[in-house]
Amino acid sequence: MAHELKGPLALLRQLAFSLEYADSDGERHKIQQEMIDVSERAIKQINDLTRITRVESGLFDLEPVAIRSVCNEVTSELRQLFSANHKNLQLEYRNRSRLVVGNRDLIHSVIYNFCINALHYSEEDTASFLTVYDRHNHVRLEVRDYGPALPVDVWRAMKQGWLEQPTSIAMRPGSSGLGLYIASKFSKAMNAPVGAVRHRDGTSFYVELPASRQESLFA
Amino acid sequence: MIYIIDDDFAMAECIARYLRPEETKIFTNAIEAINNIDEDTPKLIFLDILLDGPDAFTFLNEIASYENTAKIPVVIVTSLSLETKSLKPYGVRQVLSKETLTPKDVKACLKLI
Repeated sequence: MAHELKGPLALLRQLAFSLEYADSDGERHKIQQEMIDVSERAIKQINDLTRITRVESGLFDLEPVAIRSVCNEVTSELRQLFSANHKNLQLEYRNRSRLVVGNRDLIHSVIYNFCINALHYSEEDTASFLTVYDRHNHVRLEVRDYGPALPVDVWRAMKQGWLEQPTSIAMRPGSSGLGLYIASKFSKAMNAPVGAVRHRDGTSFYVELPASRQESLFA
Repeated sequence: MIYIIDDDFAMAECIARYLRPEETKIFTNAIEAINNIDEDTPKLIFLDILLDGPDAFTFLNEIASYENTAKIPVVIVTSLSLETKSLKPYGVRQVLSKETLTPKDVKACLKLI
């Protein structure tokens, strides 16, 4: 875990050195923006890690959450970052997407971490898709990326115990090993099954949140 | 030409800035680099270990298999703890740690050309 947190710091250090080598104001501005983005992501990861302790002690509320509002929020937060990396993030609702039972902050983190994973693993000039659809008594949130297929051994390890600890699949700066671990912890805390689907041209990570019965009040 | 192969594009760009950017080519995976290597053979390669898809060792084995690429000096840039000695059989000339490297360290590697 410490390794994952060292990554963004190492990159920040190099970006700071790079400022001196920038040959224009535009380039300097780009480096500064990257420094801000990297530090914000690192702060978010550290916040999530401290939140895990609270989750393990059961110190969070489960309540009806409007899933569309959380998904809209995450995608608008991340669109700029995707675009800066010559990638695209698209949001698709297949049906009306009911209220779910969960914790808004934790759901936000799960989706955010899945999307950051997609950003890291998708190839340039491709779009990643956050798809939301109803499935029996659950609402499924799925993030599909188009990039290298998930290695079989990692996929098997995920199927057996999912991510009980940060995996070696992404011991890289700004990467996803820690993010997926955080997502799996938070999903487990909300009793929401998580999983990965391996495709030849990428991976889908999903979480299934229980649909809220309160929805009928709004019907 | 100098190749920088790192799946973290921002880190690769930093290394390119320390050198002359116009003399560098950044690749975010080993396959792209291999596909270009015959056409535009580099004089030096900066290589990260953990890459998306085939890793650095696959890449090192591939370049070691062909006469025109076998002798290209390779500098590993990684956040893993590795010693140059353990990577000598792969043709690696130097290992730089991402956590401690400075622009001066990167420029000093030019003497390997």
